Amino acid sequence: MPADVSLTASAPVPVPPAQSALTEPVWVRIALITGALLFLALFLLLPLVAVFVEALRRGFDAYWVALIEPDAVAAIELTLIVAAISVPANLLFGVAASWCVAKFDFRGKNLLITLIDLPFSVSPVISGLIYVLLFGMNGLFGTYLRDMGVQIIFAVPGLVLATIFVTFPFVARELIPLMQEQGSDEEEAALVLGASGWQTFWRVTIPNIKWGLLYGVLLCNARAMGEFGAVSVVSGHIRGETNTMPLHVEILYNEYNFVAAFAVASLLAMLALVTLVVKTALEWRFGDELAAARH
Amino acid sequence: MAIQVSGITKRFNDFTALDSVDLEVKSGELLALLGPSGSGKTTLLRIMAGLESADGGGLLLNGEEALGLKPRDRQVGFVFQHYALFRHMTVFENVAFGLKVRPRGQRPGSAEIKRRVTELLDLVQLSPFASRYPAQLSGGQRQRVALARALAIEPKVLLLDEPFGALDAKVRKELRRWLRKLHDDIHITSVFVTHDQEEALELADRVVVMNQGRIEQIGTPAEVYDHPASAFVYEFLGQVNRFDCMVEGGIARVGDGTLAIPTQGGVQGPAVAYVRPHDLGVTPASAGPARISGIHVVGPDARIDIDLAGLALEAEMDRERLATLGIAAGDRCAVHIDRARVFAR
Repeated sequence: MPADVSLTASAPVPVPPAQSALTEPVWVRIALITGALLFLALFLLLPLVAVFVEALRRGFDAYWVALIEPDAVAAIELTLIVAAISVPANLLFGVAASWCVAKFDFRGKNLLITLIDLPFSVSPVISGLIYVLLFGMNGLFGTYLRDMGVQIIFAVPGLVLATIFVTFPFVARELIPLMQEQGSDEEEAALVLGASGWQTFWRVTIPNIKWGLLYGVLLCNARAMGEFGAVSVVSGHIRGETNTMPLHVEILYNEYNFVAAFAVASLLAMLALVTLVVKTALEWRFGDELAAARH
Repeated sequence: MAIQVSGITKRFNDFTALDSVDLEVKSGELLALLGPSGSGKTTLLRIMAGLESADGGGLLLNGEEALGLKPRDRQVGFVFQHYALFRHMTVFENVAFGLKVRPRGQRPGSAEIKRRVTELLDLVQLSPFASRYPAQLSGGQRQRVALARALAIEPKVLLLDEPFGALDAKVRKELRRWLRKLHDDIHITSVFVTHDQEEALELADRVVVMNQGRIEQIGTPAEVYDHPASAFVYEFLGQVNRFDCMVEGGIARVGDGTLAIPTQGGVQGPAVAYVRPHDLGVTPASAGPARISGIHVVGPDARIDIDLAGLALEAEMDRERLATLGIAAGDRCAVHIDRARVFAR
């Protein structure tokens, strides 16, 4: 046996501490983390803090007055109404659209998926404008609607339509990959076991997608309340009537009423924070089940 | 007769998955649908369950025309290849599902449901796991939950799609024996799909060999293995040596006369001969026509690669026999074949 392949035991050679192949030197890690944190602080945290600082610049009383002033209350109410209609509507559309995309094969499926994404790729201003072109005074159905005494543009229906259009993809985009990954085996199993279509939907499909659905609804709601561009085009900016919160903020700001503007803006910022907290809480509390649903 | 399939045809666009298939499944038997992937076996099973529609033909389940029936009205139990357990339900809830979704009039009370689910979990030996979720179970346990769930609705027919496909070799073997025993106990008419010939031969009362949407042969495991009806069945079932030959007067000659094998069945002219590796005899002969090119020992068996004038053959024998012969790679040897099946080319 040649000596160089001898397997005789020899004194253990000290081995340098094992280093994972993917570990970077300490200074690189610190630099990267610091960079990321600085960036976040500068571009996300600082503006957020600024909103609250500006809102409370004249004290809490001035802040409170700006919030309970009738036009502000009207804006808050209108925002809630618009969200209360458009979010459930998109919940239904989103579930229906993802259901047919994920569970069935049909002609034009890719077209449908592209259409669902359309609101993300179109400027919100265009989204508003199409409704003005359709339902406005000089629009396609304008004369007919006026004769019928129905007002859509510069009224609540227009705001709702524009919001639905802009927020349509949120629920569907969350659900389609989830449902596609889950396939339809469980639904088939339920059907063979004697469940009706309705029972299958409520007892098998919905429980499997509930967390994804909640995610989608949360994001959809945040956007529905915060949407500016599309809503701005169809609103007409009538104070106390067709102004949602983002539009109200803009008007106040343009009138140099900074405290009031930032006070209302702080509500929107809080909405964002609440959304984030709920989302994180969901992930923390139901992380196992979320993971199980995607297993 | 539990299931009667007559002239079932199914096409997916240009692909013919099933080409006018006729099949009878006897009451209480365990039948295997065996074939390579794309042979239509799963499609046939899914049509029986109502998960797929047929383009033509007829299907009788217990004497009743079933093609127009929805899956829920067919009273079949179906075990999916990947089990399709309800991931958000416990084992107990999974098994209880079929009972809980019954219309109000036929739904058993909750005490009765509990009794029956417990009984089924005992049957599949999973009682201690009733409150676990599917993700917390091993593959074999999931498989048994799927089986209990399918049996809960007291189906007339049990259909299993690749029931052991997703399990590792050892569990697969255990579960196979267990399923055979279970079937002997409860005698439910069962059809299972598999691409594993060993599984089909070991488990089934009768085996249906399928290829390209057609049935090649139906018979007991011994029949299809010993008397394959076609070249396809011969090649698909077990290891086989295949070589071109010329049949004249009942003798198949290979190449320029290196081998002469007696045949039966009146084939004349150019043909293909099939010989199972364990039907191929090897004897050491220093001036023999063949050479041993390799020996592989797999567990208790030995596989011997033989080069017969350029023709690669494979023989199989147990290790004791190998030791008695005392042959090694590189040795010359003689080859003799007692049995060969020939099919006209």
